[in-house]
Amino acid sequence: MTWHVDAELLQEYERGSLTPSRVMAVDAHVQACAACRAAVPADTARLDRTWLAVADTIVTGRPGRAEWLLRRAGLPEHRVRLLAATPALRWSYLAATAAVLALAVAAAYTGQSAARTTLVLFLVFAPVLPVLAVATAYGPPADSMHEITSATPMAGPSLVLWRATAVVGPAMGMEMIAAVASPGPGWWAVAWLLPAFLLCVGTLALATVLPLARAAGLLGGTWLLVALAAGSSAPLVQGVLFGPAAQAGYLVAVIAAIVVLTLRRRHLNPGENR
Amino acid sequence: MTTVRVGELHKRFGATVALDGLDLEIGVGVTGLLGPNGAGKTTLLRCLATALAPDHGRIEAYGLDPADSRQRTALRRRLGYLPQSPGLYPNFSAAALLGYVAVLKEIVDPRMRRAEVHRALEEVGLSDRANVKVRKLSGGMRQRLGVAQALLGHPDLIILDEPTVGLDPEQRMFFRTLISRLGETRTVLLSTHQTEDAGALCERVVVLREGRAVFDGAPRALAQLAEGQVWRSAGPPEGRTMYWRTAEGDYRTLGPQPPDGVAVPPSIEDGYLKLLGPAPAAGTIR
Amino acid sequence: MTEQSSDAQLLRAVAAEDMGALRLLYLRHAPWMRLRLARRCADPDAVDAAVQDTFVAVWRDAHRYREGGGEAAAWLWTIAFRRLVSTLRRPGQRWVGDATGGDDETVPSAEDLVLLRIEHGDLGAALDRLSPELRAIIQATALDGLTVREAALLLGVAEGTAKTRLMRARARLRELLA
Repeated sequence: MTWHVDAELLQEYERGSLTPSRVMAVDAHVQACAACRAAVPADTARLDRTWLAVADTIVTGRPGRAEWLLRRAGLPEHRVRLLAATPALRWSYLAATAAVLALAVAAAYTGQSAARTTLVLFLVFAPVLPVLAVATAYGPPADSMHEITSATPMAGPSLVLWRATAVVGPAMGMEMIAAVASPGPGWWAVAWLLPAFLLCVGTLALATVLPLARAAGLLGGTWLLVALAAGSSAPLVQGVLFGPAAQAGYLVAVIAAIVVLTLRRRHLNPGENR
Repeated sequence: MTTVRVGELHKRFGATVALDGLDLEIGVGVTGLLGPNGAGKTTLLRCLATALAPDHGRIEAYGLDPADSRQRTALRRRLGYLPQSPGLYPNFSAAALLGYVAVLKEIVDPRMRRAEVHRALEEVGLSDRANVKVRKLSGGMRQRLGVAQALLGHPDLIILDEPTVGLDPEQRMFFRTLISRLGETRTVLLSTHQTEDAGALCERVVVLREGRAVFDGAPRALAQLAEGQVWRSAGPPEGRTMYWRTAEGDYRTLGPQPPDGVAVPPSIEDGYLKLLGPAPAAGTIR
Repeated sequence: MTEQSSDAQLLRAVAAEDMGALRLLYLRHAPWMRLRLARRCADPDAVDAAVQDTFVAVWRDAHRYREGGGEAAAWLWTIAFRRLVSTLRRPGQRWVGDATGGDDETVPSAEDLVLLRIEHGDLGAALDRLSPELRAIIQATALDGLTVREAALLLGVAEGTAKTRLMRARARLRELLA
């Protein structure tokens, strides 16, 4: 190289008193010349502050994919952190749910005679999956850190509701896809929605009295018993369990459960043994 | 200054009585809970940490009553708690885990939270492990991380269930320094199996048995319970159950003087054993 | 890793999650990076934010650096400049003057050599005589290494306009140097 950036030129560059071409020359030269780069004086205090910020950002970590999605959905960062730690939002759980549903859909296509049974079974089991997700949203045994969580000021109804919502969303979404992908009459794809919603809200309402996992087990179990008893005959399942009258009943029950949940939300502390 | 009051505390799990009308007052400084397994240490700590509701009885900490849901939340804002099994998420990095707990503790502003996580990591000497996953941390480091999460948000009441378990001697030392520093301004209540930890750390020791406090006082006073009943002798004493061979090769006896026994000053462990008697398997002294 | 380690060595260490190596890289490169960014942006906080983002990105992307792909300093500048641009996309930020920078994904070394001779040749005078918007497009593409598309975004003009300006700038330079 034929020339180097001396201190005077550097100062002029910094002040902005160089002609455009000389600015470009300094830029190009500094880019290519390690010695001139090293000669640039450092504002130590400022650089130290920036370094701390760099180290902190790296140390605190980047958001995972689930977090990123939630952020994109417009949730504030701290809320996302809470939701992302929800045990049932881990990819392993979501992947397992997706696999079960994929198998169900695949089974429905394998044989015509088997298809009908499979679809009935799908209808029967579909409302239970979101309840399982709710059960693992908060508190023991799903959340290994529940003891620490329950002793913090954020513990309590709003955290439970947020997490339950966060896990029901993906569970319902995946089921919706599975339902639409399955062969069968169009209404099958949505018939299970109301019962599923009822079981979820009902579980939360019941969780104002019982621990969350037990509430979920109780309601989910009851549903399965009733549904499987009826499940021996497909017409019974279609006509009664998912018929118009039953659906209207589910709707009323959902409203009732929401009222209970609203009134008793203070008691929604399913992580605590109280 | 008394900061935490517990009165007539009862808790049972099925047929098992964990707390049987416990009364206790503690204040700023380090208080240690000693006692055999099942004496109610963990139950008491969980009740104080608002993780468990007592069947009946009163708890008041910093003027707040955890039975009331509003006051419970207010108390949780001033609380740091390390449970016996913290269950720290294995796939979180140390810093991410603390960040999560910090959010639970309402440190919502990301900048403040970063600073707080940084501080807590530094306090327990884990700054250089900030982005190591919990599952890759050693047992002692995990334990330190557990303490770090309890320290987030500068709590006034710090409850540590067996904080020194699984620590090597060096880390123990580190912990003692940390905990005694905390005890200068906050109320620290910890449980331990190690009488020497209690002696080194705590200005006050409470011994629980069957859900009740059977001793409450300075570690020295606990040791003094065995005053004049600890003896050293060259050979094993006849017909005694509470004796053991020491590292020096002679025998240490707790109880009436054996024939060739020379009186030695009692340790906290002596006092503790004197108070509770030997473990059931070793026979009884009473 | 020591202060004598080469940039490439340090970047390899950073790719292996060595914070110490990142620190060394930072000490070596942050000062000149700040200086050059400050020439392009009047807000020192935005400059600091860009430097911060740059090294966070380096931590994440160090494994993408290929030694054959050019000098590490040029690679770093590419990132830094992109970060500054995205910082400045947020409202309430201002550029210094009309000359906006770009970054150097495609630093054309031949053009660099030309630029190194600016000081002594006619090219400097020619550049000074270019109209500001033509100079800006030359700087963004040749010096700061933006693609035409990115330069268009940066200068707030349509891609077609940027292309036209670049062609005009080249033609004008040829004219001036003839």
